[in-house]
Amino acid sequence: MLTFGYRKLQLMPSESASGATLHIIIAVMNFLACLTLGAVLTLSDIASGWSRGLSASMTVQLAVTDQISAEDQTDAAMRVLQSWPGILRARALSREEAASLLEPWLGQGNVLQDLPVPQLIEVQIKSGEKVDTQALRAALGAVPGATLDDHKHWNEELSGFARSALGVGWAVLGLITLATLAVIVFATQAGLNVHRDIVEVVHMIGAKDVFIAREYERHFLWLGLRGGLIGLMLSLVTLMGAAWIWDRAAGPGSSAFTPHIMASPWHLLWLILVPLASAAIATLTARMTVLRVIGRMP
Amino acid sequence: MRYGMGPEVLRDVSFSLEAGSLQLLTGPSGAGKTTLLRLLYLAEHQTRGLISLFGKDISTLSKAETPMLRRKIGVVFQDFRLIEHLTVYENVALPRKIAQEDERLYRAEVEELLEWVGLGQRQNAKPATLSGGEKQRVAIARAVVAKPDLLLADEPTGNVDPEIGERILRLFLELNRLGTCVMIATHDQNILDRVNARVFRLGEGRLTMLPPKPQHLAF
Repeated sequence: MLTFGYRKLQLMPSESASGATLHIIIAVMNFLACLTLGAVLTLSDIASGWSRGLSASMTVQLAVTDQISAEDQTDAAMRVLQSWPGILRARALSREEAASLLEPWLGQGNVLQDLPVPQLIEVQIKSGEKVDTQALRAALGAVPGATLDDHKHWNEELSGFARSALGVGWAVLGLITLATLAVIVFATQAGLNVHRDIVEVVHMIGAKDVFIAREYERHFLWLGLRGGLIGLMLSLVTLMGAAWIWDRAAGPGSSAFTPHIMASPWHLLWLILVPLASAAIATLTARMTVLRVIGRMP
Repeated sequence: MRYGMGPEVLRDVSFSLEAGSLQLLTGPSGAGKTTLLRLLYLAEHQTRGLISLFGKDISTLSKAETPMLRRKIGVVFQDFRLIEHLTVYENVALPRKIAQEDERLYRAEVEELLEWVGLGQRQNAKPATLSGGEKQRVAIARAVVAKPDLLLADEPTGNVDPEIGERILRLFLELNRLGTCVMIATHDQNILDRVNARVFRLGEGRLTMLPPKPQHLAF
């Protein structure tokens, strides 16, 4: 920036009429962009966490049957599972665990005594290994009432949902970026119209186009940064508030399937990039707009 | 020269300005004086004809050459065109700043120039607080601060009292003696009568040249 003594020369008055309005618009755009990005990152984490959890485990369900006693049925299934390649561990759920799984739907009480509830076996797969589920399903066919659920159906549904939600999130981010670009182009042109006399005089005195463009770039760099930081701060407060409310509503012990908003420091880093990107977009857009407008002058 | 689809404002205009020469441009309002000056300080492109400045055909100037050529031309705009949020000192020093000169080299010159035009005490004032005459003097100081090779002034004494008007004219004549080519557009009969210069008269878009008269008095 040019200086006169200690005073900086600003070709665009800092108290420009559009300044306050633009700050608000840029701050709101950044707020929305940070919120959307925060939601996209959280959703992405949740979806991959669910997918990882579901891919790393399977469930064997042993339906109650007259052909074999429950104990023999469980032993037969466990023998198949424990000797199967790729399986780390198989564990039959206790009656208490089965009761607690059903509790949200059936309530407390001796439901297992009154209902023919199937025995569940939780199967964990060795990390990085694949299990031939078709062959395992065929092998378990020898155990009456045994069925294998490899969570494929759930996994596909969750992945599809996550992909759709992420697509919507990125589309919203794209629209916000587009709207920000349009606002900056409009504001730069409006600024050039308001200060056209200044630009013309400086142009006539012999200033190069890049000199004038640099003055505008600087103005919009600070505007983009200030607006961006305000938007970031507001979005962090909102996201942390949402995380606190979510955690309180979900209660203790519910963390396995409930999202951890802003759980990763990487999320914060991505969000910090938003005001920087906003400032960069504002600067580049202003530069291109100014050069285009000045280029039309004699 | 014409604006858009309008009538031709200037036609049959042919002249050359010698280095270090002094000329007055006169004619009735609307005759095209300001348009002619705008063509000379590259604020307009001619619709036909040839304009050559400092040996260069202006229609062939590149984007990079144009600012450098403009820095050789000082302009006193009729409507002053001061930058309202800059101080008097900053407005006057602007051409030197734009040329990326070190402020230490010109600060004293700018202050001396401001003293000379009677604005030494108003260096830190903003244009909005100045009278019409003071604004005029700031505009003139800005035009001459970089010691241009060509000085174009559009009615430079139009808003000042006779005493200041005379000081401004002396400044122009002094610059001219130092080698600056000066062209002053004016209605002021006092200047036309007293300044020993070629007179360009514009009327109905045409230019006629009158040689300096022997009875003209130099300042």
